[in-house]
Amino acid sequence: MVNHKAHQAAADDRVMFGFWVYLMTDLLVFSVLFAVYAVLHGNTVGGDAGRDLFSLPLALQETILLLTSSFTCGLGLLAARSYKKWQTLICFGITFLLGALFLSLEMKEFTEFIREGQTLQLNAFLSSFFVLVGTHGLHITSGLLWMAITMAYILKRGLNAPLVRKLALLSLFWHFLDIVWIFIFTIVYLGAYS
Amino acid sequence: MSTIAPHDENEQKTVSSYVVGFILSLIFTFTPYLLVVNHYISGRALLITILTFAMAQLLVQVIFFLHLGRGANARWNVYFFVGTFIAMLIVVVGSVVIISNLHNNATTLDQTRKIIDSEGIYQVSGELTGACQGRHTNHQIVIKAGKSSPILTIAAKCDTLTFVNKDAVDGQIMFGTRTKQTTYAGLDKLAVRKDHTKTISLSETGTFKFYDSLRPVVSGSFAVVDDK
Repeated sequence: MVNHKAHQAAADDRVMFGFWVYLMTDLLVFSVLFAVYAVLHGNTVGGDAGRDLFSLPLALQETILLLTSSFTCGLGLLAARSYKKWQTLICFGITFLLGALFLSLEMKEFTEFIREGQTLQLNAFLSSFFVLVGTHGLHITSGLLWMAITMAYILKRGLNAPLVRKLALLSLFWHFLDIVWIFIFTIVYLGAYS
Repeated sequence: MSTIAPHDENEQKTVSSYVVGFILSLIFTFTPYLLVVNHYISGRALLITILTFAMAQLLVQVIFFLHLGRGANARWNVYFFVGTFIAMLIVVVGSVVIISNLHNNATTLDQTRKIIDSEGIYQVSGELTGACQGRHTNHQIVIKAGKSSPILTIAAKCDTLTFVNKDAVDGQIMFGTRTKQTTYAGLDKLAVRKDHTKTISLSETGTFKFYDSLRPVVSGSFAVVDDK
């Protein structure tokens, strides 16, 4: 039995490391997009620059939402490790709501830009902006989907070791997205006003 | 990385780690935000300050949220993280340095003109470039109810000219006429959104016409004379 547990822990560590490797390569993807944005953000061809477009209060709201969701996600993982089903579901439920709210604010910002004619095709600045922030938004969307499915499993089957492991990976992913967003907030939104 | 198995004795410690991380992250978010909104500092100093806060927050979240370095086989996670971070710095810093060098040293005449004006480079190897040193009088062209006033602005070289759009529609100022477009000091167009302003430096002398490419009824001209 002890032997079995040790085996399981070693397997868990391997899965964790594998997922960590994926996250680091994803970080490289984002760093390339950041480099592109840093290079192209001044190329507006006479159009509006970041400081004419971005709303800082909106970006701050998004940051606080994502930060809080990262926090509740961590609490949810702790509850899951102690096999507290409902506490886990509540924490991840709040995380999901905050994430969805974040995504809706981002969509609102994007649709406003597009309605004002500030589209992806207009200039290099907007292309790099939409691709960088949009890629992060896509990650958030897939994270939300993953979260919803895992929560449905927990609701149906209760918590078990494989599900706790899934939640551990999911929370790694979610914290990672929060860290990427901090750099988007700093470089794209705050940086536009410096 | 903490392992997945439950360990109750550590739980209280981990909850407090999340709380500390959350509070520190909030501080590191609000401080740069307030610095930017209240214009306490600006330019390069501001950029460096907010990037420092972002790096601090990165460290906080890696330590207090991701718990990197905790657990049995955490060493490899840390190595991989550090390696990726170095690769990331090479890609980002390398791209920015190389491209900004290219941008400044190998670029079109229009672009050079713009860089010379925006950075106030008034002489190169002892030759005057025509860029302005310091700013002088500001002139305004107000666009209201589809009309721009005054119709003709006369300014001295190195003065500044501000387009003020008081209409409820966006404008895009182009230079020249609709059939024959020109550029002014390297600029070909200037977006002036509703209730916004745009200011240009008058470093090129001569008489210039402008019009709004979105609303051709808006047009006018300005003359820049050498004050020497």
